[in-house]
Amino acid sequence: MASFLFHLGRYFILMWRAFSRPEKLSIYRRRLLDEMVSLGLDSLGIIMVISVFMGAVITIQTGANIDSAFIPTYTIGFATRQSTILEFSPTIMALILAGKIGSNIASEIGLMRVTEQIDALEIMGVNSSAYLILPKITAAVLISPFLVIISMFVSIGGGYLIAMFTDVVSVANYEFGLQLDFRMYHVVYALSKSAVFAFIFTSVPSYQGYYASGGALEVGKASTRGVVQSSIIILAVNYLITQIFLI
Amino acid sequence: MIEVKGLSKAFGEKEVLKQISADFEAGVTSLVIGASGSGKSTLARCLVGLIEPDEGEVLYDGRDFVHMTAKERKTVRKEIGFLFQGSALFDYFTVRENVRFPLDILTDLSSKEKEMRVDSVLERVELTEAHALYPSELSGGMKKRVGIARAISPKPRYLFCDEPNSGLDPQTSIIIDALIQEITKENEMTTLVITHDMNSVIEIGEYIMFIHYGEKWWEGTNQEIMETDNKEILDFVNASGMMTRKRM
Repeated sequence: MASFLFHLGRYFILMWRAFSRPEKLSIYRRRLLDEMVSLGLDSLGIIMVISVFMGAVITIQTGANIDSAFIPTYTIGFATRQSTILEFSPTIMALILAGKIGSNIASEIGLMRVTEQIDALEIMGVNSSAYLILPKITAAVLISPFLVIISMFVSIGGGYLIAMFTDVVSVANYEFGLQLDFRMYHVVYALSKSAVFAFIFTSVPSYQGYYASGGALEVGKASTRGVVQSSIIILAVNYLITQIFLI
Repeated sequence: MIEVKGLSKAFGEKEVLKQISADFEAGVTSLVIGASGSGKSTLARCLVGLIEPDEGEVLYDGRDFVHMTAKERKTVRKEIGFLFQGSALFDYFTVRENVRFPLDILTDLSSKEKEMRVDSVLERVELTEAHALYPSELSGGMKKRVGIARAISPKPRYLFCDEPNSGLDPQTSIIIDALIQEITKENEMTTLVITHDMNSVIEIGEYIMFIHYGEKWWEGTNQEIMETDNKEILDFVNASGMMTRKRM
């Protein structure tokens, strides 16, 4: 318990320092753009591939599990849309990005720590936590909702392909289900959630990397801890957000 | 000038620095020597504020660094150049970007002035040709020279070099030592070199402080160290094979 409180306190102190006033805005602006490219655009491929298959699988699974004649087949389109918007795109994508981006962040910052690059920044009078962490968090929080929107479209598109090329559901019924009882609130909820998750999967690995010590082995362990912890926190926060905003 | 007064540091029960006091003059290459684990790197880290000392004062031209506010420290840190043992170059920057980085952060020079400064510093360390390379593409000696270039690009008043010759062949070590000494003289900097390389001691040690188990054991010049009868110093010098070797 003492160790948990120690890490929690140190995490919040690090975040406080990371969000303090930057030395030179021009430097941070450049770093922010670099991070948006590296965290956002570089993740686009994996997000699209996973989304299209997940959308297709959700459609097939829903179709396969609707046995009753009383449940109309347009429910398949409805279920695909709802599960994609509410859970799959914001949450599962966050978990995947926690693995991809989180390990990358923890190992990058961890390596900078053990090779004294962070000390070099500090000696130059640079707030190393702000310089290294703030652009990553900001970039992820800004870009993540866009990635989630793309994921939503691609996933629903994956289901559309199933409707076009199989007998699971007709295109007309799938389209009808997609439009049935659509609530904009759910999209806003999902995008807000994705921004919170982006904060988690960047800040937690940043913390692990920033306080890494030793050599390559410890950096690897810090990276694993960053991914595991951020994934667990994402799932727990997802439960809380769902409980508070959807029930 | 850097004055150190009664500096002490302990990690838990272990006392790493015990009441260290010394004066490091401007324009002089001062060396802190001692065996591995004697506390010399901890001393350097305490002097630049990477580690907080438990006790004592560090005065940068009369300014008490230990008891300053964070904002005041930032001003002093802008006057400090530091060459790390492993060079600590930023992996994602080229040589040119590494050298330019402190100028972007610490100065208000125009872009053209920064480029001119980078060119002149790279020329000084003879790395003009390598300006577009990344640290992973450099040899150990080149990394050290880029580290020096980065440290001196904002024209610091104080230069710290932590084991500048570690991992380098003797010939490259001579080049690095000479470069540090020349730069110190040219810019009238207060330079502090942390080393256990006796060749450096003989070559550039105008003022030498020997640390033994965290205590200041001896101080003097490179001439005096060869004539001292202090047992610990003699052991250190003899262990380096200095008495039997001569430099080219």
